[in-house]
Formats: sequence, C-alpha cells, structure tokens
Amino acid sequence: MSRWIFLILGFGIGLAGGLYYTWLLSPVEYVETAPDSLRSDFRGDYLGLIASAYASSGDLVRARTRLALFPDLQPATELAALAQQRLAAGLVDTEANALSQLASALSRSPTRTPAPTIRGVSVSPTPSKTPRPSPTRRPTATPGAAFLLAAREQICDPLLSKPLIQVVVLNAAGGPVPGREVIVVWDTGQDHFFTGLKPEMGLGYGDFEMTEDISYTLRLADSQQPVTNLTMHECEGLEGEPYPGSWLLRFEQSP
Amino acid sequence: MQNRLTPLIIGLVSGLLIAVVYGWLIRPVEYIDTSPDSLRIDFRTDYVLMVAESYSADKDLTLAQVRIAALGPQAPDDYVTQAIDYALEQSFSPADLGRLNALAIALRDIPQPGGIGPP
Repeated sequence: MSRWIFLILGFGIGLAGGLYYTWLLSPVEYVETAPDSLRSDFRGDYLGLIASAYASSGDLVRARTRLALFPDLQPATELAALAQQRLAAGLVDTEANALSQLASALSRSPTRTPAPTIRGVSVSPTPSKTPRPSPTRRPTATPGAAFLLAAREQICDPLLSKPLIQVVVLNAAGGPVPGREVIVVWDTGQDHFFTGLKPEMGLGYGDFEMTEDISYTLRLADSQQPVTNLTMHECEGLEGEPYPGSWLLRFEQSP
Repeated sequence: MQNRLTPLIIGLVSGLLIAVVYGWLIRPVEYIDTSPDSLRIDFRTDYVLMVAESYSADKDLTLAQVRIAALGPQAPDDYVTQAIDYALEQSFSPADLGRLNALAIALRDIPQPGGIGPP
C-alpha cells in the first residue's frame, strides 16, 4: 500500500516540477511568428503599413497577399474602422487616407486571395501572375478638374439617430471618389473627415455629426467653394414628434 | 527505505516526462500578443520592404525610422541590410531591391549623434 502512495507522491512532484519548468522556466519560445499573432496595436500598425505601401505602389494584388496573412480579417470594414481610429487619435493623416483608399479598392473588387503558405510569398520577385487591376478602374479625380457643389438638401430621416452633414463626392463620370478630405469649420473650432471610410454607405460618402445651435461651414480640402450656414434643423415624425434633421451635400467634378 | 525510494523515483520520473510532453508539445505556452521583433525573417523582410515602398513615395525618413524601430533595438539600417541580404538570397525584383537600397542609403546618410567633428 505504502509503495503506491510513494509512487503517486513521486508522480505528483514530477508532474508539478515538469510543468513548472516547461511553462515558466523554459517555455516554448516563438521567435519566428507570423503577422496574425501580433498584438492588436502592432496589428494596426502592420495594416497601416500595408495600406501605405499600397498607396505608394498601387499594387492591389500584393496588398491582398499581405492582408491574407490575417485569416480572421474583414479587410474593407476593419481597414475603414482603423482609418477612423487613426483620424480620431490625430495620427498621420496620410496613413488614414491610405487605409481608406485600400478599403475602398478592396470593396470594389472583393476577390479573395488564398492565404500565403510559402516563405516570402508576398515579396516574391514576381509578386503576381494575376493581371493587375486596370488603372482606369481607380475612381480618382482627374487632376485639375474642380469639384463643385451640385446639390444641397435638408434630410429628414427618422432612422438617423444623430443629426449629420452627409457628403457625397462624385467624379466627372459619376463614380464615387474615396479618400477626399472634407473640412468643417465653426465658430470655435474645426475638424475634418474623409470620404470612403464607411464603404457600406458608398465609397464617395462621408459624414460629420452636428451639434445643436452651431452653424457650420464646409468645404472640400482642395476647393475654395465653402458651403455655409449648415445648422441643425427640426423634422417632424409621423406622430408630430420633433427630431433633428440632417444635410446632404453632393459634390461633383466638373467635366 | 529501498522499498519507498524506488516507487518515489519511478513516479517522479514518469510525472516529469508526462509534464514535459504536455508542456512543450501538447499544450505549450501560446504567444498570441507578439511584437514585430519576433516576426520570421521573410515577414520581417516584407515589413521592411513595405516601409521602403512607403518611403519611396512620401520621403518621410523619420516615419520610416519609427516604423523600423518596431522591429527591435538594432540600428534601423541593420534591419534594412538584413532585408537586402534576404532579398538577394530570394532573388527579389530589381524594383524591390532598388527601394530597399534607397532606404538603406537614406538611413546611412543620417548623421550619427555624438560624433566628434574635425578640429
């Protein structure tokens, strides 16, 4: 009987000692990790870098291959959300803009790339045998052509929980223009936002939340045409109850 | 004494073996919140390449330095040199090598702090 007790006692001590050694003293070290194991802040930086590289090279296939390293990523929505976080935190505007451009490009052509399995696939000498997307598909503005205010409407939409200034920017061909900076100014401050950060609302869409009793002036960053007197107005619901209304501004590029 | 020591040692050794197999192979410590400095060499090279691609467009060397600093405590140009070595080994395209080289040259041209100038 006592032999069993000593066997079990020895087993317990050995087990405890072994786990102490393997989990605490000498745990398995992961020195060759993949990007999907990165901490959330580094993950955000990595995604921002993918977007910045895309913005400089325009190589969507390579960007897709890099994003495929994150199997759980919902590229269009997560990149757009990340762009908004970067703007809200006052971080590099160019990176937020790049994130927005990449989110828009991905939502325009949502083909999935198989997850890379070989070493350095995303940086191979021939990064893609798939034809690159045609540059004509990029809805960027024709350089030099101005964007003008085409419509200014008061909106009464009970589904909008907050009063918004909604902006839609379209190019000369009528296509949405993402990544366009919009500046909003009021008596005591100013702010800015970009189109394309809410792909579900359209790639040329952006909005700004209004506060009661403040008059806003809005303009596109590269335009000198301000839209003034944007104040919150009152709308009436079906049963006569008041709710705050919004504005819809549509800018179109002159042909 | 002999009767007690033998089962104790047998139990100890078998417990230790099971724990090692369990702790290292079956359920090792999982690192899910890693930092870029633990990235595998090919991912690290791609990271540096992305910095170089971005730098080729914005020419913001400070931003490039900050991004590369996430890879660890070595000097930024060391990481770029390692990336170039790996890129040469893997026969990267001349365009990618050119971007990496341009970044390496820009980083090496930064004056080193604390240097003693000529009299």
